[in-house]
Order: sequence, then structure tokens, then C-alpha cells
Amino acid sequence: MFNPLRPSGGSGSIERLRVLADEELMQLVYRSSADAFEVIYDRHADAAFSLAYRMCAQRALAEDVVQEAFLSLWRSRARYDRNRGSVRTWVLGIVHNRAIDALRRRTVRDKGIVNDEGLEERVAAPERTELDVARREEAREIRDALDELPEEQSKVIELAYFGGMTHVQIASMLDVPVGTIKGRMRLGLAKMRMALGDPTEMVQ
Amino acid sequence: MSGEDFPMDPGLCGDNAAPYVLGALAEEEHEAFRRHLDSCAVCREEVAALQVVASVLPAIAPQRSAPQELKRNVMASVREDARREEELGHHMIAATRTHFARRSQLAWPRWRPLLASGALATVVAVLVIAIASGGGGASTRVIRAEATPRGADALLHVSDGRAQLDVSGMPQTPPQRVYEVWVKRSGAPQPTDALFTVTAHGDATVGVPGSVRGVKVIMVTSEPLGGSKVPTTSPVIIARL
Repeated sequence: MFNPLRPSGGSGSIERLRVLADEELMQLVYRSSADAFEVIYDRHADAAFSLAYRMCAQRALAEDVVQEAFLSLWRSRARYDRNRGSVRTWVLGIVHNRAIDALRRRTVRDKGIVNDEGLEERVAAPERTELDVARREEAREIRDALDELPEEQSKVIELAYFGGMTHVQIASMLDVPVGTIKGRMRLGLAKMRMALGDPTEMVQ
Repeated sequence: MSGEDFPMDPGLCGDNAAPYVLGALAEEEHEAFRRHLDSCAVCREEVAALQVVASVLPAIAPQRSAPQELKRNVMASVREDARREEELGHHMIAATRTHFARRSQLAWPRWRPLLASGALATVVAVLVIAIASGGGGASTRVIRAEATPRGADALLHVSDGRAQLDVSGMPQTPPQRVYEVWVKRSGAPQPTDALFTVTAHGDATVGVPGSVRGVKVIMVTSEPLGGSKVPTTSPVIIARL
């Protein structure tokens, strides 16, 4: 009888692993199952690439970020702790950190680089499942919560999270004190939390 | 959410919680605040409250399909890693079996259930150490590396031109940093793809990519995520072959 938690090979094993939850797959990934990791990749690669592209605004750089992030995830797989959040949160956290590193390196090394977002056709990830539809709906709620903030608060959150800028850089750009920037970030996030109810219950 | 859910006016130290969860602190500030969290319950609570919002922000990025080529590249590296780990494990088990068969016909069956349970890395480490202490006969060489952090230990297992590093008691790497393995033949240390972090207990098992024939030193440094092309910190582990 097939036991999906026992590592196995063969062409059908990946398909059979797709019934497992992320946390169960991580047990196999921990034991070096590349097949289980492939399922994790398939589930979260679009979200990872979307985040990286939103931050880097450059396809090639976004690809580098996602590739580095997933390889780092594989090589540090023993570090995953389900008590600290979902696999998706873990994946996107690493992608975010990698993208910040890439952006800050690029800022120093290559200020003349041209963003290509908008220059190429955007290929939207299709809605394939009910989960995808639920995620789209939640994304709209989150977007609304951000848009409802005073512009000065939403702007600093976007510049920091998606722009990879430090609070000092943002303060310099907007010509306001650092303490003000920190306060706007905190107020904005606090209001978003109130608007979203309990974000931890989102499907993500 | 009630007002009590959100700690207000946490004091000056709490000012960094929001930029921390948004990734907006410079690297040194980030690390300093992370250390501060170990001792400040107010800031931990503040970070936890804000982190749940930061963690849903990726959802508002316009959704795109990841390129197929990206998957091919990632999975090719992952499968190569997995194959190498399996190969290294087999080398060591083979060497171990030979050795134990010589030393005692009774010793081996005691280990077999453990191997079958999937605790391969741990058992391999234990068995190889046993080989080293027993001396002679096996093709696996075990080298105790110099480990700088207090309480840390590192053993390098070399078998048939391949090497695996087992570390224990190592400190956690700060966020956005990893340990990187370097090999030195002659001249400057060369970077490898082996980037790793350690478990909550400070343990890790990492295969050294490629053949180690001709390698004189294998060392480990702490580097930014993604690794570095040249070491940017002093080695925390040095194994001399």
C-alpha cells in the first residue's frame, strides 16, 4: 500500500505526493526528497516569482532571486520550523530577504539599470483552483486595506517592503525625520491589522 | 481586534519593530534589533503583532507565472544535491559495513533498524566516528576540524574523494546570513555552492561539492544570504586535509 510519507522514486511519485499538505511534504524534504521539494516548488513558485518581480521590476533579476531563494530553502531545509509559520510564509520571507539583498547590491553597483516592468507583457498566473480564487479575493482585501491608509503611511510601507529601501533612505528621499518614517510604518501596519481582522487566518 | 492586542507606546526600542518586519533596517541595525528581541518581551510582542501584516503583503504583488526554465534550473541543482548526498551516504555505509564486519559480526545488526528509520545522517556520523576511534581498515577518513565558536565541534568525513562536514554546537546564523563552505587547494579559498544554516541545536550535515582531491583546507565562514565570492569574515571552522 502506498504510504506518501515514505520516500519513493518513479515517475508517479510526484503526482502522489501532491495530496500531502506542505508540512507533511517538509518532513520528506528534510529527508532529502527532491520529489517532495518539487511539489513545494510547484505550489509556491508563482507567488515567489510574483513577489520577486514586484520588488526587482526586472525579469532576469527576479529569476536569480527566486532561484537563489529556493536553493537556499533546500539547503537550509532543516531550519524550517512549522511553529513559526506556514511553508508559504517561510518561502516568501526568504524571497523577500533575497530580493532586498539584490536591490541593495544593485543600488550600489548598477544605478543605471533599467526596469523592465511594463515593457513586457505581464503573464498573469491563471486561477486554477478554488484556493487560487480565494487568494485573489484575499489579495484584494489586503490591497484595499493598504489603499485605505493615508498616503504617507501606505507609501512608506510600499517603499520599504516592495522597494527594499531602508527607513533612513526613505527619510532622506521624502525629506522627513527618521522617527517620523518609523511612526508611519508602525501606524500603517497597525491599521492594516485592524482592517484585516486576523491575518493569520488568511489562506495565503 | 481589541486595543489590548496591540501594545502601544513600547518605548524607544519598539521604534524599530515596524522597520524590522518590513525589512527596512540596515543589516547591522537588523542584527542588533534581532539580538535585542532575545531580551525584550515588549518588542517581541510588537514584532509578532506587526509581522502578521507584513507576512500577507506579498499577496498584493501582481501575480505572474514563474518561467518553466526557472523550475528546470532549480530542480536540476536540487536533484544533483540529493544524488550527491545519497552517494556520499552510500560510500560511508559501505565503509562502515566493512569495518564493522571485521570488528564484530554482532555489532552491525544493532544499527540496522536505526538506518531503516531514516535517521541516516545521525547514524552515519556516529558510525564514522566509531571507525575513527577504532582505527584502520575502512576507507573513510575522519578529520576533526578547528571550530572557533565556544562549544562547537566539526568533523570532516572524507571517503573516495568526497567529503561531508558534520557540525554541532554552532551558533545560529543571524537573519540574512548563512554559513558558506570554502575549499583551498593553492592560492585563495574558492567558494562552493554549499551554503547552510544549523538546527536549533546548532547541528548541520553538509556535503562538500565536488571532489576534494588536492584540497588542502576546507573552511566555513559566515556570509550574506546567497554566499560570497571571497570570504568576508574570518573562518569559524578550518579542516586541514
